Amino acid sequence: MTDENSPGCRMTRRSLLANTGLAALGAGLLPRTMRAIDAPAAPVALARCRTYDAELLPALAKMFDQIGGLDRLVNGKTVAVKINLTGDPDSRLGYIPIGCTTWTHPSVIGATVHLLGKAGARRIRLLESPWKSAEPVQEYMTAAGWDPAMFTSAADRVEFENTNFLGFGKTYSRFPVPHGGHLFPAFDLNHSYEDCDVFVSIAKLKEHLTAGITLSMKNCFGITPCTIYGDGAPEDEPGIVPLGGRYPIHTGSRQPPKSSPPEVDPKSPREGGYRVPRCVADLVAARPVHLAIIDGIEAQSGSEGIGPETRHVQPHVLVAGFNTVCVDAVGAAVMGFDPMADRGRTPFETCDSTLRLAEELGVGTRDLKRIEVIGARIGDVVFDYRKAGIRTQG
Amino acid sequence: MDPETPERTSDHLVPFRWPSAWTDPALLGLFSQNPINCLLFENLAAAKPVADAARAAGLTVLEWNSLGAAPLAEVKWDSQAAQTVITGLEWPRMKLSSKSDGAVEAGPTGAPWIDSNTWVARLAAVRAPRRPVWLGFELAKGDPVPGAADYNIAIADTAATGARWIVSLDDGLRKGLPAGNAEAQKIWRSILAALAFFEQHRGWSAWEPWGSIGILSSFAGKDEFLGEEVLNLSARRNLLYRILDRAVPASHRLGGLRAVLYVDSDSPSRELEAKLKAFVRGGGLLIVPRALATAFAGDKPIECPVTGYDLRSSGKGAVAVARRDWDDPFFLAADVHSLVRRRNDPVTLFNARSLWEHYSVAPDDRAALLQLVGFTSYPNESVSVAPARRWRSATLYTIGSSAAVELEPIPVEGRPEFHLPAFPYYAALEFRL
Repeated sequence: MTDENSPGCRMTRRSLLANTGLAALGAGLLPRTMRAIDAPAAPVALARCRTYDAELLPALAKMFDQIGGLDRLVNGKTVAVKINLTGDPDSRLGYIPIGCTTWTHPSVIGATVHLLGKAGARRIRLLESPWKSAEPVQEYMTAAGWDPAMFTSAADRVEFENTNFLGFGKTYSRFPVPHGGHLFPAFDLNHSYEDCDVFVSIAKLKEHLTAGITLSMKNCFGITPCTIYGDGAPEDEPGIVPLGGRYPIHTGSRQPPKSSPPEVDPKSPREGGYRVPRCVADLVAARPVHLAIIDGIEAQSGSEGIGPETRHVQPHVLVAGFNTVCVDAVGAAVMGFDPMADRGRTPFETCDSTLRLAEELGVGTRDLKRIEVIGARIGDVVFDYRKAGIRTQG
Repeated sequence: MDPETPERTSDHLVPFRWPSAWTDPALLGLFSQNPINCLLFENLAAAKPVADAARAAGLTVLEWNSLGAAPLAEVKWDSQAAQTVITGLEWPRMKLSSKSDGAVEAGPTGAPWIDSNTWVARLAAVRAPRRPVWLGFELAKGDPVPGAADYNIAIADTAATGARWIVSLDDGLRKGLPAGNAEAQKIWRSILAALAFFEQHRGWSAWEPWGSIGILSSFAGKDEFLGEEVLNLSARRNLLYRILDRAVPASHRLGGLRAVLYVDSDSPSRELEAKLKAFVRGGGLLIVPRALATAFAGDKPIECPVTGYDLRSSGKGAVAVARRDWDDPFFLAADVHSLVRRRNDPVTLFNARSLWEHYSVAPDDRAALLQLVGFTSYPNESVSVAPARRWRSATLYTIGSSAAVELEPIPVEGRPEFHLPAFPYYAALEFRL
C-alpha cells in the first residue's frame, strides 16, 4: 500500500521535502476549518455491561450489529487495533488490576479481536506505543500480568507491534492532515498505521489532566513514535529507540527531527491545553479511525494515569461506532459532560475541546442532536465523573 | 589464635569500621548485646586500649590493612583471605539530581536512577565462592546526611545478596553517639535492628540465587563496562540472572537456565563453545553479539519478536544474533528481557517500580525466597506479588515487625496473588510447597 491516495505514503527524501514545502504553502491557502454542519454523523451503539465476564462478548456483538455489522468493514481485510496501554504496566491503583482502571481491559480487546476474526478479518494487528519503550507489546502485556495468548487464540493471525519506533518497518509512513492541520501538517508514523485496511481505536472512558477527556480520539495520541515526537529524538533523523516521552507535543519545547514535518505555526501557544487537543484532532484526521470502541465497564476518574486524584469508577457501559468523534461525543455525555462545551467549561476547564477541533477538520460531529444513539439511552447510563472523582466542577 | 590475623572462617563476623576519633573504651557499650561482633581499626597500635577492651568483651578485632580490601577490579581472587572485601562502592540509594532542586534523577525510561551494589556482591560470590563478601562504601562529599532509612537501605541492599556491609558511620553519628544525642541513638538502634534481622535469617544466604538467564562475560578488560553494567541494569529491571564468569569454569553451570547472554565480542574457548552449543541443542536460547554471528550461525531463521536480532533455530533451541554492536547496556538488558520473555520470570510484581527483586531457591527446591529492597524512605504501598509457581503458603518478613505474617493468596484475574501490606525499605516473602 504505497499509492498516493492511501492515508499514509512511504516517505522518501524527495517526497519529504516536497510534502513539507506543500504543507507550508497549503497551510496558508486551504480552508482551516469546516463548519460543524459539514462534519459527518454516524450511529453510536451504547450498552450497559456490568462485568468483563460472559456478558461482554454478546454485548459487544450486539453493539456491532446495531451499527451495521463488522463484516462489510473487515471481511478479508488487515485490521490495525490501537489499544490503550498508557503508563507503566506494573502500576496499579491500589491492588486493582490495570485493566479495570487505566488500560483497555484485556477482555474487551480479546472480545473485539474475536469478533473481528469472526467477521472475516484476514489479519489483526494489536498496536501500542508503550511509554518510553521499544519493548514488544506482548512483553508489556506480560508485565501487567496479561497472557498475550488470550489475544492470539481469539482469532487467526493476530500480531503485535510496538509503534513507538520504526519497529518491523523499513521506513516511517507519512500521513498528511487534511486542510493543513491545526498543529502539524503531517505525521510520520510506524508502518503499521499504513499497512492496514481498517483502523480501530479501543479506548478507556477516562478524564485527562491536559485534554479534559481521553476517549477513542485521544487514544490515538499514542500512535506518534517517540523516536520522532519524543523529547529524546535526535535533531536530524528519527532515533533508533524511544528515549523520552511525548512532552514536546505537550509543551512545544522542540520540533521533530528535520526529517519530519515541523509544526504549522511554531509561534502558536506552547501550552498543553492548546496543543494536545489540536494534535489529537490532526491525528484522527490524518489517520482516520474506522471503528471506535470505549471500554467504560470499569475505569478511573480524575486523570489518565494513576495519581493522587485518581479514583476507581464503575460506569458499566460500552460505547462503539464507526465515527470516532460521534463515539467520543456520546462517551463524554455518558461521563456527565456536555460534548458541545469548549474551553472554560467542564471537562475543558484548561484546554480546548478535541471534539470541536476534530469536528472542524470534518472528522465527525459532536452534536448529539445529529447522532443516533442505539441501545441504551444516555440518560439511563450517565455516570457523573466529577461526582465520582475529587476534581471539582469548573 | 592471633586476633590480628583474620580467621579462616569468618562467616559469623558482622563488621564495623571503628571511627579513629573514638578513643574511649566506654563506647564499646554500644556493642553489647547486638549483632556487630567484629571491629575494624585503621591502626591497631594507636587504638590499643579500645582494641584490648574489645577483645576482652569477646569481640573480634581486625586491622583494616590486614583485610586485603580493594576496589572490585583490584581484588586478588586467589588470595587466602578469610573474606572478600570490596571498597570504593556507591552508597545504595535512589540517585538525587546534581541540580540544586534535589529532584530524583531518572534513567532513559524515566525510572528513578538507583545505585545498588547487588551485582558487585553477586560477582564476588562467583569469583570466590566460599568466602564471605564484605562491601565497603561510605558517603561521598556533599551527599545528604543519612537518616535511619538510608542506613537500613544500605544494609538491606547488601544483605539481600548474602553479603555484609562494613558498617561505617557518618559524621553525625560519629559525633552524636559519644555525645548521647537522642536522634543519633535512634538511628543507631535502627541500624542494629536491621543487622539483627538479617543475622537471624542468615540461613537464606545459602539459598541459590535463581535466574532465567545466565550472563556470561569475563567482566574484565574491554568487556568490563558492558558486562558489569548489564548485570547492574538487568537487576534494575528485575531480570533475574545467574553470573557465568568466563574465568571461572565452575560457574558455567547452564542447567535450569532458559537462556544465556554471551556478552563479550571475542570467541569462547572450544570447551565453552561446545557447552553453549549443547545448551542450545537441548532447548536453550543463546544471545550473542554480532561479532559471533559466524561462530553461532544456527539453522533455520525464525520470527523474532524483538527488533534488531536475527533468530535462528538450532536443535530444540535457538540462537539470537544482534544485528548491531551492543553499546548501551540499558537497551541490551531490555532486549535480553524481551528475548528471554517475562513469562519466564518466577514472579510478577505490581507497584514495585522502585523495588529491587532478589529471588533464591532453597537447597531442596521446596521453598523460594523473594526479597524486595526499596530505595526510598516512603512506605511501599499496595505491592502485589503474582508467583508463576503454585506455592502452598507465603510468609512475609519485614524489618521491625516482631513476627512473620502468613499471607493468603487472593485470586486476581484467574491467578493467585499475594497482597503485601505497606512496608518501608525491605520485605521478604518465603514461599513453600
